[in-house]
Amino acid sequence: MSGAHFPMMTLNAPTRRPSVLHIFKVYYPDLFGGTLSVIRDICTGLKDTFTAAVLVCSRSGGAPKIVVNDVAVERVHSFGDVLSLPAAPTYPWRLWRRITEHDLLALHAPFPLADLVFAFGLGRGRPLVVHWHADIVTHAGLRFIVEPMMRRTLRRAAAIIVSDPVLVETTPLLQEFADKCHAVPFGVDVAKYDRPAVQPADVNARGRLVLACGRLVPYKGFDVLVRAAHSRNFEVWIVGEGREREHLEQLIRDYGLQDRVRLLGSVPESERVKLMRIADVFVMPSVTNAETFGLVQLEAMAAGRPVINTALDTGVPYVARDGIEAITVPPGDAPALADAIETLINDPDRRRRMGQAARHRAVTKYSTTAFREGVETVYRRVVAEEAIAAKDVGLSAPASRPHTAGGFVGAIRIAAALAWSDMRHRYVRSLLGPFWMSIQMAIMVGVLGSVIGHFSNAGAVARLPMLAASLTAWTFLNSVVLDATTALQGATSLIKDRALPPVIFLLQCTFRQGLFALHNATVPLILWLALTPRDISGAFVALPGLALFIVCTLALSLVLGALATRYRDIKPIIESSLTLAFLSSPIIWTSDMIDRSSPVMRLNPLTHLFAIWREPLVTGHVATTSLLYVLGCLAVLLLAAVVTVTHLRKAAFWI
Amino acid sequence: MASITLRDVCLDYPLYGAYDFSLKRRLLGRLLRQGSEMRTIRAIDNVSIEAKAGARIGLAGPNGSGKSTLLRLIAGVFPASSGQVAISGNIVPLLGLGAGVNLDFVAADNISLLLRISGRKPTPDILDEIWAFTELDDRMRRLPLRMFSSGMLMRVLFATATAFPADILLLDEWLSVVDENFSAKAEERLLKMVETAAIVIIASHDHGLLRRTCNSIINLDHGRIASQIPLDAPVPFPLELREKRA
Repeated sequence: MSGAHFPMMTLNAPTRRPSVLHIFKVYYPDLFGGTLSVIRDICTGLKDTFTAAVLVCSRSGGAPKIVVNDVAVERVHSFGDVLSLPAAPTYPWRLWRRITEHDLLALHAPFPLADLVFAFGLGRGRPLVVHWHADIVTHAGLRFIVEPMMRRTLRRAAAIIVSDPVLVETTPLLQEFADKCHAVPFGVDVAKYDRPAVQPADVNARGRLVLACGRLVPYKGFDVLVRAAHSRNFEVWIVGEGREREHLEQLIRDYGLQDRVRLLGSVPESERVKLMRIADVFVMPSVTNAETFGLVQLEAMAAGRPVINTALDTGVPYVARDGIEAITVPPGDAPALADAIETLINDPDRRRRMGQAARHRAVTKYSTTAFREGVETVYRRVVAEEAIAAKDVGLSAPASRPHTAGGFVGAIRIAAALAWSDMRHRYVRSLLGPFWMSIQMAIMVGVLGSVIGHFSNAGAVARLPMLAASLTAWTFLNSVVLDATTALQGATSLIKDRALPPVIFLLQCTFRQGLFALHNATVPLILWLALTPRDISGAFVALPGLALFIVCTLALSLVLGALATRYRDIKPIIESSLTLAFLSSPIIWTSDMIDRSSPVMRLNPLTHLFAIWREPLVTGHVATTSLLYVLGCLAVLLLAAVVTVTHLRKAAFWI
Repeated sequence: MASITLRDVCLDYPLYGAYDFSLKRRLLGRLLRQGSEMRTIRAIDNVSIEAKAGARIGLAGPNGSGKSTLLRLIAGVFPASSGQVAISGNIVPLLGLGAGVNLDFVAADNISLLLRISGRKPTPDILDEIWAFTELDDRMRRLPLRMFSSGMLMRVLFATATAFPADILLLDEWLSVVDENFSAKAEERLLKMVETAAIVIIASHDHGLLRRTCNSIINLDHGRIASQIPLDAPVPFPLELREKRA
């Protein structure tokens, strides 16, 4: 797992081009846009030195593996977008599987789904380059979850590529890693916009055509542009498609601008080039820092257009500079935007000068060659450094390196070792070890079975195996949660003096109690063998349910364990809640002993958590409602667990 | 290559009083709009350290000046409140020897567990080597650690903790090794470890020791770097391992 020997293989085969895996949320043909054209330019620009592959999500449900412009694109199915992120549950797993097949990983940030993989320490064997396209601007409220993951990704990255040096200064997260950042400005293929016949500001005699391009999404600020057109006399053409279309159409109707403001929808690239050349003024009214560079304004500059952009804290006002190639207005300020447009419209001479300056800057500062070479230099250096590091590892004695895979896998290994030692400790103290607890449970099953036998007349003996199984499962859940509430305090010296990640000790609880539960499981097993006709088919159907039960317990223990360490008064609450839950859930009794439709029963998550593996044992199939209910709870618990784990960094302060 | 880069690092250590551990109190305080201002102490104040392979840094300063906290911050125990921390290399923090020991277990099992905790696979060869270093009777391997005297226990723990070389070695208060005869050997082992480690950071009150072992000394005071003294000729010999506790 150390991955040390894989790069060695690439050293031995120097003829092969190293391969780069580009990691992003979407790719052609599912979407068009600035970031995508950057990835495409990297893939095609570096094709002589690097083999490129792309791993993205897709909603379209087309073929999972396609080839776009000679680049292998693998598309993971997504169920649509949730919070601007593709809901592709299998993406992290697929990414993890793909990592080892490549020599270099290029993550196009922000993409939290991929950060998840790197935050868990997976894929350490491969060097990572982060292309920082933008910070998270939308859903900033969820930043506290995403930021620790992004930080871990950046910490692990060998290099970070940004489009403009100013981004490093204005983005706090990038400041922390300033020494890894490389500014490589995007390039534009100026030749595409060459058309000698066209002179700036000559085509449209009226000189009042304003053009804007981009996906119709809120941060592009096209609504500001529409409002700016109100009670002025210039024409606005907006190229692009997106979910804001209806809103913009409504706005245009409200202001009665149908004759002067047109939404052209998406147009082929050749058409867009033509539009760029006939426009009089190009406007990029973006309103948030999600616009980090504005590739589209660079295209307008290549077409020799004067630009109006906005004073964002990003590279935008540095690409086209106020007073030279552009007029920069405050973002979201419609009157200022309108004034700037009119200034340019009324001054053809200034338009011509600005257009020429813009074209000059695009040619000299933002060539595709410079971009390609900049990226290639970073890629080559990172791959070379990795090869050297791999060589070092290979040369030093193999035993002198820790055998951990690092990160999450390493944590699980240590937790398992600790849990195993806990179990052995029981055997050290007594010959029977954890079986003492099993004997205790056997007695409890016997007593409870006979008592309950008096409540209901139907075969008390036949119920015993299920009663024992339920008690085993409950003991597991109960002990895991209780152990977790004190686990971190018990491991103070290991956390503070040996710098072990706190999450290990919460995982240890589940592992240890899992081992004890295996001991206890002998009781239901013996009863089942002795008392029932041995029908094994239900047991297989019960396994997924049992797995869900364990995962839920684990997630619950992570959350409650951390909470109880931070807030000490939670522990008694948890203890009494567990007792209450034991009594109010169908563990020692079954739901058919009482009124099934009682709302407490139906809403109690424990009812369903037990039902998903008990029902299959009895009837051979699972109730869908229970399954859905448990999956819902699990989703919430997992989310809470992820948040908890990211906050566990602070646990050393609490103990 | 091992390197440590701390740039303008601050650490605000939250001071949790008895009430700060109470969720009820916290919720109530928010309800009554009481200032729930968390009290913090700046344990590390604007510290910048740049260490490349070969650096031997001694941390000196009075009690509470932030030596241990700084070591823990480098080890990754505490996250920095602000500033930049970049560390590459495998860190071996030896801040307390006794962590993770189970006195009920026999010595051999304890050694295996300690090795697993630091991410190593305990193979019979490694276990033999560690035991040979302790110079204890072979039969004692099968005895529970609670039957060991504190000196013998220290031998086992020391031998285990120093069995593997480290890229970055963090030592808090020079490890105290009790036995007179063992100390020369321990000294040699530790010295060898300090030599092979790319970066060593030692926190100690013993200035003489720091002068002998390190090539630069950082004096801390109230979490700040009060002074930084480069020592030109590191003279590792003779090294006295008997620690003088302040």
